[in-house]
This record gives sequence, structure tokens and C-alpha cells, in this order.
Amino acid sequence: MKFFLMLAATILGVLLGMWPTIRRGRPAWWKALAIVAVIGTIVLSLAPPTAGTLTDAIIVARAQPNSVVPVLVTVTDVSNVPDSTQTYSATVHDARTTDHVATLYFSSLVKSAIDEIGGRPTVVHVRRLDSDLAFHAEAIGPSDPFLTLPYIPGLEERARIMYYHVPMSWVALVLYIVAMVESIIYLRKRRPEADRLAASAASVGTLYTILATLTGAVWAKYNWGAYWNWDPKQTSIFLTMLIYAAYFVLRSSIDDAATRARLSAVYAIVASVAVPFLFFILPRLMPGLHPGSSDDTTAGPMLSLKSDTLNPTKQVIFSLSLFAFSLVAFWLVNLRFRLGQLEHVEREEAQP
Amino acid sequence: MNELLTQQPIYVVLVTALIVWVGIAFYLWRVDSRLSAAERRRQQ
Repeated sequence: MKFFLMLAATILGVLLGMWPTIRRGRPAWWKALAIVAVIGTIVLSLAPPTAGTLTDAIIVARAQPNSVVPVLVTVTDVSNVPDSTQTYSATVHDARTTDHVATLYFSSLVKSAIDEIGGRPTVVHVRRLDSDLAFHAEAIGPSDPFLTLPYIPGLEERARIMYYHVPMSWVALVLYIVAMVESIIYLRKRRPEADRLAASAASVGTLYTILATLTGAVWAKYNWGAYWNWDPKQTSIFLTMLIYAAYFVLRSSIDDAATRARLSAVYAIVASVAVPFLFFILPRLMPGLHPGSSDDTTAGPMLSLKSDTLNPTKQVIFSLSLFAFSLVAFWLVNLRFRLGQLEHVEREEAQP
Repeated sequence: MNELLTQQPIYVVLVTALIVWVGIAFYLWRVDSRLSAAERRRQQ
């Protein structure tokens, strides 16, 4: 299901991105769809609260005692009389499954918030006490959330980067492949439009590679302790940027249009062969910090064959994100290409 | 509203991301319209 959704989102994004032709202006509905898809991705990836289960709170507490974990629970049987330490108690169980029943203790500071819940599923930030059946409520989150994102021990809120960092990296790869295909078309048919389209796709691909690197660096700062660690994945994406920087240097250093187009096309084809190797193969062969490295027990949450590595809610939001950022990328390629066409026509007319 | 943003920092991220992307979308739409107008002028 995971691979089907991701593949469908990628194919739909590419086909719709290039429909009816990438060389002409986009219809209004197409642009509206791209905007709605991006806004939908942002809302669905950032608005739902992160909430785990009481079992998650127990697992986290074993590694880090006194840690506070948001859990989606139902609180019932609230006591109205505090004990000698001014602590109230209630019965609590997981909202999704009623398996885990425990006692929730809380101070008078959150008593009024708990009274307002009234047995509805609520995100409660809990800390495990001295047994798996006793928790302390530190804060009360939203009640009856429309959607919750699963709590991943060790990642928590930082898991949300996945909806931006990964699609940008994958769409960059798709754009480099588009640049390669257009370069082949140029070499076969010598159409200058194919050369301009290849350059447009490579430039937007490089923009997406830079965005993937920046979002990854911010995530690395809070997960690994530094923005840049020379992890194999970071090194390979840095090499990709250098390869495509050389492509643009090559284009800008040749004045004759036909020679520039021919050499750039050959270079883009050779560069695009290296990209899948640098993006997917090299980082998986070497040990590193990035998910999916050779010393990781899975292939990373996206490509792992284990079914429990990506929750169904996350699969849907990730696929929507992939689709949305594909449409935006093809819109940018379209604008860049049409601008290049206009510049080309004006240059032609300006020549005596 | 202010209390919500203070207590849930993720909503600050959400609002910022929405403002940025609505701005990008508006800008792209405007550039697209201007480009279409320039293409039409050239065809005429």
C-alpha cells in the first residue's frame, strides 16, 4: 500500500505536471490545484497534534525517566477530592484501544481542564510514575482531534520534516531525469527548445536539491547536534550540487548556442547517470547517521519493506506532499522555460 | 489566539509556513499572468 501510494503520487505529479504540454502556459484550474495541494500538505503535516499511546510513554520512560510524552487518551472517573498532597486522580485509557487502563494523577493546575474534557479523546502530556499503571498529567492538549500524527520515540515533532525534506529530494531526482530526457531529445533532433527545457529542469532540480539540503541540515542540527556532519548522504547531495553547478558554469562559458546546447546535453546525460547512484545507492552502502545507511536495521521509513515503518496517515500525507511539490516544481520549470523562450525571441529580433 | 500560539509552538510554524507559501503562490500566479500577457502581445 505504501509503495503504491508513493508511486501513484509521483506518476500523477509528473503526468499532470507535464500535461497538456510543459512548453505552454498552465490553465487556471491547474495552478489552483497546485496551490490547494501545497496548502493541504502544510495544514495536514503541521496542524494535527503528535500523540502516542500509554505504551509509548512507558517505552520512552525506560530510556529517559521523567520524560513527558503526548498521548491520546480518554479520562474518566475524575476524583473531586484531592489527597493529602493536593493531587487528584482519574482513570485513563488509550483512546484508540481500551487495552491499557491506568491511573492518572494531576495537580489542581490542570483540574479544570480535565473537568472540561468530559470523557472525550484528548491529547494529554504524561510522565510515567513508579509503575506502568501510574502517570502524571503535565499539560492538557486539544480534545477530539480530527487527526493525530504518531509519536516516534527519538524524533517526536521533528518527524514532520519528512513531508518536506524527502519529497524535495525525490522531485529533484525526477527533474534531473527530465533534464536528461530533454538532452537526449536535443541530441537526436537538434531542437533548441529541448535544450532550454533541459536547462530549466536542471535549474529547478538544483533549487530543490538546495532546499532538501537546507531542510535536512536544520533537522540534523536538532537530531544529530550539528547542521553538517559529513554523513555519506550529506556528502553525496553536496557532490550532486557541485555536479550541477558545473553544468551551469559550462553553459555560461560557451557563447555559441549550438555548441553550448550540444556540450550541455552530453554533460546532463552523464550527470544524470551519477545522480541515482549518489542519492540512493552510495549512502546505503556506507555506515552513517542518515536513516537507511548500511548500519541501519531498516532501509529508512520510506523504502523499508516492513509494513509498520510508516503509519497509514503519514503515508497519505507524504504522498500528497510528493504530488504537491511535483506540481510546484513543474510550474517553476514551465515559467523558467517560457521566460527563456521570450528572451531567445527578443535576442533574435535584436540581432541585425 | 495569542495563548494558543504560545502554548503550541507548532502552530507558529504552521502559520509561518502558510504565510510563506501563500506569498510564493501569489507571486508565481502573478509572474505566470505577466508572462502570458507578454506571450500574447508577441503573438499579436
